[in-house]
Amino acid sequence: MRAVVLAGMLSVVVAGCGGSKDKSTSDTTAAAAPAAADTTAAAAPAATGGQPIQKAVAPRTGTGTPIKVGVLSDCQGAFGTFDNQDLAGVVAAFSQFAGAKPKNPNKPRDGWTGGAIGNHPLKLVGVGCSNDQADTAIKETRRLMEQLNADVMIGPLSGDESIAVANYAKQHPDKTFVDGAAGAQDTTLKVQAPNFFRFNGDGAQWNAGLGDLAVNKLHWKTAAVISDDYSFGWTSTAGFIADFCAAGGQVTKRIFPPLNTTDYSSFAQQIPDNVDGYFVAVGGAGLIPFLKAYEQAKGPIDGKKFIGNLFWGTPGQFEQLGPRVAGAYVGGAGTAGDLDTPAAQDYANNIIGKWFKKIPPAGDPASQAASTFTYGYYVNTWGLVKGLEAVKGDISGGQKKLQEALAKVTLPAPYGEITLDQNRQAVLDVFYQQLYMKDGKLAVKTIASIPKVDQTFGGLFNASTPAPGRNFPKCEKKALPWQGKEQAVKVVG
Amino acid sequence: MSARRPTASLDRGTAAVLVAIAILAPLIFNTYWIGTLLTQMLFLGIVAASLIFLSAYGGMVSLAQVALYGIAGFAIGNLTTNGNTKGLNLGWTPLAAIPVALAITIGLGLLFGALSSRSVGIYFLMITLTFSVIANLFFGQVTSLSGFGGISGIPAPGFIGNVDHHPDRLYYLALVLALLVYALLRYIARTPFGLTLQGIRDDPVRMSSLGYNVTLHRTLAFGFASFIAAIGGVLFAYWNGHIDPATIGLGATIDVLVVAVIGGLSRLEGAWLGALVFVLINNYAQRIGFVSDRFHTLIGVVFLVIVLLSPDGLMGLWGRLGDLRRRGERPGQAPTGGSERGSGELEPTV
Repeated sequence: MRAVVLAGMLSVVVAGCGGSKDKSTSDTTAAAAPAAADTTAAAAPAATGGQPIQKAVAPRTGTGTPIKVGVLSDCQGAFGTFDNQDLAGVVAAFSQFAGAKPKNPNKPRDGWTGGAIGNHPLKLVGVGCSNDQADTAIKETRRLMEQLNADVMIGPLSGDESIAVANYAKQHPDKTFVDGAAGAQDTTLKVQAPNFFRFNGDGAQWNAGLGDLAVNKLHWKTAAVISDDYSFGWTSTAGFIADFCAAGGQVTKRIFPPLNTTDYSSFAQQIPDNVDGYFVAVGGAGLIPFLKAYEQAKGPIDGKKFIGNLFWGTPGQFEQLGPRVAGAYVGGAGTAGDLDTPAAQDYANNIIGKWFKKIPPAGDPASQAASTFTYGYYVNTWGLVKGLEAVKGDISGGQKKLQEALAKVTLPAPYGEITLDQNRQAVLDVFYQQLYMKDGKLAVKTIASIPKVDQTFGGLFNASTPAPGRNFPKCEKKALPWQGKEQAVKVVG
Repeated sequence: MSARRPTASLDRGTAAVLVAIAILAPLIFNTYWIGTLLTQMLFLGIVAASLIFLSAYGGMVSLAQVALYGIAGFAIGNLTTNGNTKGLNLGWTPLAAIPVALAITIGLGLLFGALSSRSVGIYFLMITLTFSVIANLFFGQVTSLSGFGGISGIPAPGFIGNVDHHPDRLYYLALVLALLVYALLRYIARTPFGLTLQGIRDDPVRMSSLGYNVTLHRTLAFGFASFIAAIGGVLFAYWNGHIDPATIGLGATIDVLVVAVIGGLSRLEGAWLGALVFVLINNYAQRIGFVSDRFHTLIGVVFLVIVLLSPDGLMGLWGRLGDLRRRGERPGQAPTGGSERGSGELEPTV
């Protein structure tokens, strides 16, 4: 699940690109490729993200029975540095939609004051401190739900944690859980806890459209995939394989280096030459060594022959990736901070940027709005608020009414509408992006959106199919609901 | 590694009071305490007791106990789950899986023991740490048995039922097993095997020259300790319903060592006392305003303070307090218990 961290970093960068007043569409930059981002997306009207601006409700307090809220974040481990982003999403959503107010605008982790649904005050009973490991997530969930008696919980952050928490939720049907930012497929597709809701996408959904791009725009017929050998790597790769094969491509080789490999030379040697391109889901600290090993084994990198998942946009790696990967396409994480729509920019500047002066450790709040973590916790909390509003804060009767209401929630979210499927998993618009050179430095620009991506990929993934792994999914041509429906997007910067 | 020798146990009155409190705990404490904190304390104490047994009687400080406890847990998970989780999903009944899980763990324990029993001191520590790391990476990489995501939805036997709905059942099972483990370890220490082990701890060369097979004794002791650790692992699997490689990661390995050191590496009771302190700090430190998400620092500080004040852990502190009390009652008489026994003394019981 390191992917989620890197997705957040990528999104931050993208958001950072949005700071300029100089607006352009991706279509207009095509001529300068590969030095500038080009577009291969259909020249369709920019409809994605055209959601209404969300005005803040008036401050609220309540005198009725409190609704006790627990938040499960990661304050340790690989994602610990994003702890305040997680809480920023939660606190901003409660502030914007339930009349709460950050306790400390410089430190989201301090929680909120005020806030109510109906006459029921929203009380923060505790913030769990996990570390991206399922074991710790369960212990912290127990503490929040059983010791501190939370009624509802928001979280966790990462994939393996979420599978464990969804299993826990199944054993506690009278409590309600909404995800934080976790992207494991099994959480909703396999576990199917009736009281666990996820308003963010999974790792496979985030890569929808990349296969279609490779086949129909980059004209790849064959590809090899190289991925970290663990659950998020498999899930992320599954999204590409499903999409690529559905569009008629053939995956001829699957290479899975163990997570935390430092010397990729033996794996680079396994990469076939007789393919049209490569999908790389090697993440974190492994990406640079992988690219170096590839260059040593195969020669210079041709950016157009590579598609990366969200790992490729990581700040701190950009400088080292450098010009050699310009032109490569990158899967997003359901976020696009440079999206030029009123709702997307309002979310960054007038919601996250309004409620907080600072989100530690990075600081500037608006540029962190499109982080996978901020956004994930934000939309999940917002979904919870809408569910609670629908039942006027009444969580009696084992929360059954709340859970029924939550399943019907639709969010007019900043980057596109979010609805839930029958497994209470988000159906959402996702984006793909491209690395390009800007002022001599590598940058990322959102190119197109893929509308209404669902978790099943048109039935390819379901509860009875194997979980994504080294050999699954198989390569099959089939129709996907979003094929040919990608939309070019207008971006700022 | 020269370990401190086992020393006097709690007096019978204190022990009886503690056992009575443990039996009545479901009437005294709330569900969270029973289902989460005290049950965790009991099985963590069992694992720590296996470490203390090896350390106190065999002079072997093993870092492989958490790996062995995890192997039992993974075995239970693979054998009993049946459906949407990683692993073999063999769908056995939980009771049928227990002896197999114990046998697998003991077998591997004997193997680990055979490989490490010729080493002493820091080398023994390093070899057992290697076992721990291998186990962690093995279950992370071998996706047919686990993978990084681990195994979820591990069912408990019917008489335990849903652990969340009936936490007292698993608590009482853990309590009975903890008492049995304690009694068994004390009994073993008095047997010829236990006395031989202590002899090997004190002077392996002399024991060897007397005709004892030192390597075999150490290997068997390691195998026996793996059986004790496996009991903790089975309880953990039922308690958590989930196991993944992080359960037996380096952090967890160190945690159990910390538990044993806080309690006192020379006394069996210290295993459960250390586990109680560790679990409570782990749980409640976050609620202390200035500590918040820095609670690991607090655990480290408590660890340092205890080790500095009492190298024999909290049980050593208890022993010294008892000495002072007795000295106050009988002025001029030398203390009879505590942790400062003569180095040549062989103490057959704890």
